Amino acid sequence: MEAKTLSSEYVKGLWDENPVFRQLLGLCPTLAVTNAVINGIAMGLATTFVLLLSSLVVSLIKKVIPNQVRIASYIVIIASFVTVADLFLQAFFYPISKALGPYVPLIVVNCVILGRQEAFSSKNSVGRSMIDALGMSTGFVLALLLLSSVREILGAGTFLGIQVLGSWFKPWIIMLLPAGAFIAFGILLGLALLIEGKTKKRRA
Amino acid sequence: MSLSARMILVLTCVGLISGGFLAGVGLWTKDKIAFNIQQEIEQAIKTVVPGTAVSEKLHEERAFTVYAGKTEDGTLIGYAVYASGTGFQDTITLMFGTDIELQKLTRLTILKQTETPGLGANIERDDLFLKFWEDRNIQADLTLHKPAASSPTELTSTEINTITGATISSEAVLNIVNLSLEKLKEKIETGQLEGR
Repeated sequence: MEAKTLSSEYVKGLWDENPVFRQLLGLCPTLAVTNAVINGIAMGLATTFVLLLSSLVVSLIKKVIPNQVRIASYIVIIASFVTVADLFLQAFFYPISKALGPYVPLIVVNCVILGRQEAFSSKNSVGRSMIDALGMSTGFVLALLLLSSVREILGAGTFLGIQVLGSWFKPWIIMLLPAGAFIAFGILLGLALLIEGKTKKRRA
Repeated sequence: MSLSARMILVLTCVGLISGGFLAGVGLWTKDKIAFNIQQEIEQAIKTVVPGTAVSEKLHEERAFTVYAGKTEDGTLIGYAVYASGTGFQDTITLMFGTDIELQKLTRLTILKQTETPGLGANIERDDLFLKFWEDRNIQADLTLHKPAASSPTELTSTEINTITGATISSEAVLNIVNLSLEKLKEKIETGQLEGR
């Protein structure tokens, strides 16, 4: 474990252990909010904020927390930061907060966050935990960005609200609906596995 | 220290610290959030009752709030009704304005909705839906024009447009408005909005 370099702790979140495409964690917000790129980015950043601060606090106080109540403690810590993020968005980014609706409070139960506390921050130093959290968040933001780009471009012909496809394009409304989230995610996941399989063969 | 004592102590401390921290953040953002909501409502009043400089809340009940739109010198120029009701997927919150005689509906704006994207969500779009609401005659109930019209001139003055593929959402908005208009008329006739 300790032999790993810091940069590898960061990079693993981008692909090898990408929370969305490799670990399949945090799919509820991933599928729900990615109908527009701006929502995807906002959700990604809010999750980043919560993940970073939770990892910081958990790795700081990991020795104090008895093993039996660790999950309860993590949840309280995570829930606090989520509430902070929610209030902050409501106060300073009101339109985005309205667009994300109930999904910001739901970050509390985003498995990416609880999963990193349990799997990493509770066993590693503060620095390493922060790097890990940063890597995982970057991976999460990139995954949301990819999925929401595909859905917004096909579903509305726009990217960040700007028309990118000509008027000849008839929007595929299904891509904005929950069914479209599953279709787009399934295809992207299939591509990710295909690429992974190819690179593995090459390595071997 | 025994394990259970430590468990209780740690959880209590985590809870207390988090609670204190949240109370602080809550205090810091409270005014800002209230201001945002206020701002949104005032903006909407100015949209639906054009020419409003000052607004005043006249009446409030569940899912139905009436504001008075006034000019700079305090002359009443119209009413703005903030109402909500059941849509296709979730509650739709909207605001519409009327003139003071309740002869016509000036304008409609949608404040909150989670209708189907690309279909019902088009109730927010001006070109498909909202522009068909301008200057409607409200002496009788408004009705739906089907199939969808492409220009407001195709409608009679008591009709509003349907969105193709989203009849339920169009109807939902219509019902909220008709119901609120009835309430508004009753409140004004019985003098419940006077004397403020």
